Parts: sequence; structure tokens; C-alpha cells
Amino acid sequence: MKQAILANIILATVGLAVSAHAQEEIRIGLVEPLTGSVAYNGNSVVEGAKLAIAEVNAVGGILGKQVRLIVEDGQCKPANSVNAVEKLVQKDKVAVLVGAFCSSATAAIMPVAQKYKIPLVTGVSSKADLTEQSNPYFFRAAETDALMARAFAKILAKDLKLTSVAYIGVNDDWGRGGVEEFARDLSGLGVKKALVEYFDHGTTDFYTLLAKLRAAKPDGIFVAAETQDGSILVKQIRQMGLNTKVFGVGSWATPDFINLTGEAAEGIHAAVPYASSMDTPRNQAFVKKYETQYKTKPGKYGAAGYNAMNIVTAAIARAGSTDPEAIREALHKTRYEAPNGVYEFTKKGQAYGFEAVLVRIEGKEPKVIASTPVAMH
Amino acid sequence: MDLFLQFLTNGLVIGAFYALSALGLTLIFGLMRVVNFAHGEIYMLGGVTGWFFTSYLGLNFFVGLALVTACIAVLGWLVDRFLIERVRGQGEEPGILLTIGLSIFLANFTLLVVGPAPLKVAGAVSEAPIFIGPIVITKLRLTAVLVTIALIMAAHLLIQKTRLGQAMRATFQDSMAANLAGIRTKQVYAATFALGCTLAALSGMLLASIYSAQASIGGLVSLKSFVVVILGGMGSFAGAIVGGLLLGVAEAMWGGYVATGMVDIIGFVLVILILLFRPQGIFASHAERA
Repeated sequence: MKQAILANIILATVGLAVSAHAQEEIRIGLVEPLTGSVAYNGNSVVEGAKLAIAEVNAVGGILGKQVRLIVEDGQCKPANSVNAVEKLVQKDKVAVLVGAFCSSATAAIMPVAQKYKIPLVTGVSSKADLTEQSNPYFFRAAETDALMARAFAKILAKDLKLTSVAYIGVNDDWGRGGVEEFARDLSGLGVKKALVEYFDHGTTDFYTLLAKLRAAKPDGIFVAAETQDGSILVKQIRQMGLNTKVFGVGSWATPDFINLTGEAAEGIHAAVPYASSMDTPRNQAFVKKYETQYKTKPGKYGAAGYNAMNIVTAAIARAGSTDPEAIREALHKTRYEAPNGVYEFTKKGQAYGFEAVLVRIEGKEPKVIASTPVAMH
Repeated sequence: MDLFLQFLTNGLVIGAFYALSALGLTLIFGLMRVVNFAHGEIYMLGGVTGWFFTSYLGLNFFVGLALVTACIAVLGWLVDRFLIERVRGQGEEPGILLTIGLSIFLANFTLLVVGPAPLKVAGAVSEAPIFIGPIVITKLRLTAVLVTIALIMAAHLLIQKTRLGQAMRATFQDSMAANLAGIRTKQVYAATFALGCTLAALSGMLLASIYSAQASIGGLVSLKSFVVVILGGMGSFAGAIVGGLLLGVAEAMWGGYVATGMVDIIGFVLVILILLFRPQGIFASHAERA
């Protein structure tokens, strides 16, 4: 009994210490995959987020307090991401949550955010139905596959003179979503579907898949894949002696993708929400800052982390307090001028108004060939 | 028919790589009764050190291969003398826990040092395609397969023809008798572990020149290697080769004629079939043991 009382006293003291400390700073929780197969992309998000927080703190923080970013590893797995959020909410007492990269992981932490009534912003997860679950605490500062497909299907079909396309996607909700959306919109424009194939995360050898593709003789190949899988796949497409036009979605307009893919990257097209070569003063300033900090140009995910953090800190500043309800209200009134256009949220929490670009990789640089604002739907 | 030949070629190429990476695992198990869960991480380490020597320092591919051999052999030796020796003769569980711990340590240590980005080993030859009739293959792959065959032959000769190999086989048959006969079994164990690790690391470097190396690939490699070893029979040298080729071809055929989306399933289906009908593995009953 005595011990139980003692334990309670200790717990209470620790609790007080934490909450007393929490008043001196504003805490934001970030859940990203830091280990596992997409760790590389998750770390880019963290880099961008840290840059945004450093900028905010350099000018005195928000509401007169410094902002502290607490990063947890969710490994893109639903269970681990939920644990990470529980820790961030219970122990660190964060005011806002950002995360969790993979759509499946984000879907798992959405109800947790709702349970604790804490706003959750994702800068990455693109599965269309996340914003359709009427979760008032969820905001998506990212494009969906449907929006990208609608924005670029016509340009692609016309510019690349496509008549039949083979669709290849990574075997998860994002890859399947991308393939389905682009296949639907391109088919609507009369482009034939030559082949649809999926592959598992971390696949290294695509020769079998490509042998089938060669037999199907398409004149365009659509690929939904991230840096590692995508670079190997594109390289092997060229190794197989296929000169088919390649286009796709994923983190393709990044220096890492281009370095890994080498010469095979030349001439491929990518529909991305961000490219470091976007020609706006705000983007040039961002690229310069990012390069000074990390010695590499920002890619899609670096920009996603940066934007999500800026949206969140601006909302806290507008709310005038760290009260979650006030922040949620403020998030709805977002009008954030990002390096890639202006972000606003629909009632369902879907961002719109920012620019998406179609780039062609030429001379190891992503060259913007078309740009279109992502419309409200 | 053209497609079939292409699938078969793909399967055999991948199968050769599977065989080489599983060989180290089966050697260590067969001789030392250590189930090495850090196998995939040693493979990954081979790719990462290979990247360091070839892409980072700009050395020739084969010089890099020799340096990786030296580095990983020393590492394997040290791991055995300082870690595995402490749990030797205490059953299999302490060894399993030890190597699981080692795998976590190696993966995260690599993540800390080189980061999570995929790393490319500069290849020995060009990646341009060669057409043999209806079949496409690259020079780089062909070279990698030839190097793989050479390495497998070298490992075979080492075990069958050298004094060290004789000592290994003697230790495997009866370690106490070998000890009494004057064989320094501690050294033999360390040499075996070093050899097993080196084979894994070399296949890691070869494959990183074709694909890429990354701190997180170890898990999948370990899993596939275990599949190959179970198919061929635990501890069987020939079994690892046949198991590797079988898995490679089965995956290529499944991917080619059914669906590429669920290719990783086929290895486990084969394992279940083997465990049902021939639990000792394809080769284990009559093959020579490494």
C-alpha cells in the first residue's frame, strides 16, 4: 500500500514536471518511417520538417515560445505508428501531430488522433479515401493520385502520343491507387491498357515482369514506385533494350533518384507535386536554404515535410494558443504560400490550390514541362 | 517459347545469386550448428563496403571484391572468437539470440554511419544488353553469374582439397575426436564462420552492382536464404545450389505465368511442400556435408 502511494506521488511529480516543462515550449509530434524499406523517404520528410522548425525558432518561435519537434519512428507499419502516436500524446503532450507517411499507417493513427482530439496533418499519404472518412481532426497537405491523374492525363496522352500503355505499380494501396487512377483517366482518352502488373516493396529483379511487358509491346510505361524500386525498375527497362517512353508518379524528380538511375533516367517523365527546379522566387529561396543545410536539393518529400510543418506552425500562431480545438479551427483557415503554390483546405481537410508539375529529366536535372494547380474537387 | 526461355534465363541468373548467398548460411549451420540470423546483414555489409571501395574510393571492382573479402573475413573471424565462442556448446538458442542481436546491431550501425539511402556499387562491366536469340541479358549479369560460379567452385575446392577443409570436415564429424587428433577446433570454427560470412558478403557486393545496397535489405535476404537452405537440406553444399536454382526458376515462372505481385509467396509454398513430403530437404539424406 505504502509503495503504491509512493509510486503515485512519483508519477504525479513526474507528470507535473512534464506539464510545467510543456508550457515553456510548443511541442509538435512527427511520425515517419526512419527504419525499414521507405526509411530513406521518411528521413527526407524529417529533414524538411526540421528546416521549417529551425526557421520558425530563428525568428523567436510562435506565441513567444520555442517550438520543439519530437520525431518518432513509425516504420510505415500501422501498429508501430499507433504506438508512436500514443507515446507522443501521452508522454510528450504534443499539441499537433504530423504523419505517418504510408497511407495504411496514416489510416491507423487517424482514429487515435480523433480519440485524443488532436489535429493530425499529413504531408504525404495520398490514398484518396483518407479525407472521405469524415474525421474532423485530419488534414492532408498533399495531392491524391486521382488529382494527379486528372491534372496530367490529357497532357501525357497528347505530348507523348500514347496509344497503348503498360501499368506497373508497387503492390500497396498507393501503387494500386496510382495505377487505377491513371489507367481510368488515360483509358477515358482512348489509350489502350496493354498490361497491368504489380510488384512487392523491395523487389530487386524485374526481368520477368519486363519480359512480359516486352511481349505486350506498349508505347508507354506508367510506373508508380518510390526511389529505390523505381530507380532499379527504370534501369532494367533500359537494360532490356526497351526504348518505350516511361512516365510515372513517386519521388522521381530528386537528385538521388537521378544519381541511382544514371543514364537510364534521361527522358523519363514524372508527375510530381514538387520539383526543385520550379521557377518561383519562393522556391529558389527554399532550395538554397535546403542545400546549405543538407548539401542536396530538396525532393518531393523534403518539401512535403517543410510544408506540413509550416502549415501547422502558422495555424498555432493564428489560433493564439495550443488548444487543439482552436488549432483545428485555424487549420481550416489555412492560406499558406509554399514554395510550390498556395495551400488551402477543403471542408474535408483536403489541400488544394498548390501547383503540381510534369517534369522531364534532361541532363540530370528535372525540367518542368507543364504545371497546373491542383483543383478543388 | 521465347518468353519461356527468357523466364528460364532470369530464373537461373537469380537462382545462382540465391545459391551463393545461401551457401554461407548452410556452411555455418552444417559445421557449427549455429543458425545465423545475422546472415542477411552480413550480405548487406558486403554491399555497403563494396560501395565504399568502388563508388566512394573509386577503386576497380575486382580490387573492391578482394578488399571486401579481406574485411568481412576478419570481421567474421572476430565475431566468432569474441561472441559465438562464448555460447558454443550451450545448445542452439543462445546462438540464435546472439545472431538476432548482432543483426539488429549491424543494421542500425550501418543506418547510423551511411544513412538509409540506397547505394550503388560501381560495376565491373557495362550494363548494356546482349541479345542471345530471343533472350536478353546484360554483360554485367553474365559476369556476375560467372564470378558466382567461380566463387562456388573455390569454396568447394577449399572444403574438399585443402588441409583447412579436411580439418573442417573432421571437426564436423566429431569435434572431440578432431580435437584429440590435434586439430585446433577453435580456429576451425572461426575459419568456417569467416568463410560463411565472406560468401554472403561477396554475393551482397555482386548483387549491389546489379541492383543497389541499402541498410534495410538484410531481413528479406535472410528469409530467402533460409528458404533455400530448407529446400536443399540444412547443411548440404549441393542442396544450397539446387535449392537456390529451384527457387529462382520457380519465382520466375510464377511471376511470368501467374502474377508478379505475389512472387515472394512461392518460396514459402515450396518450403511447406518440402516440409510435408521430404522434411530432411532434397539433398540431405545422401549428399556430402560441407
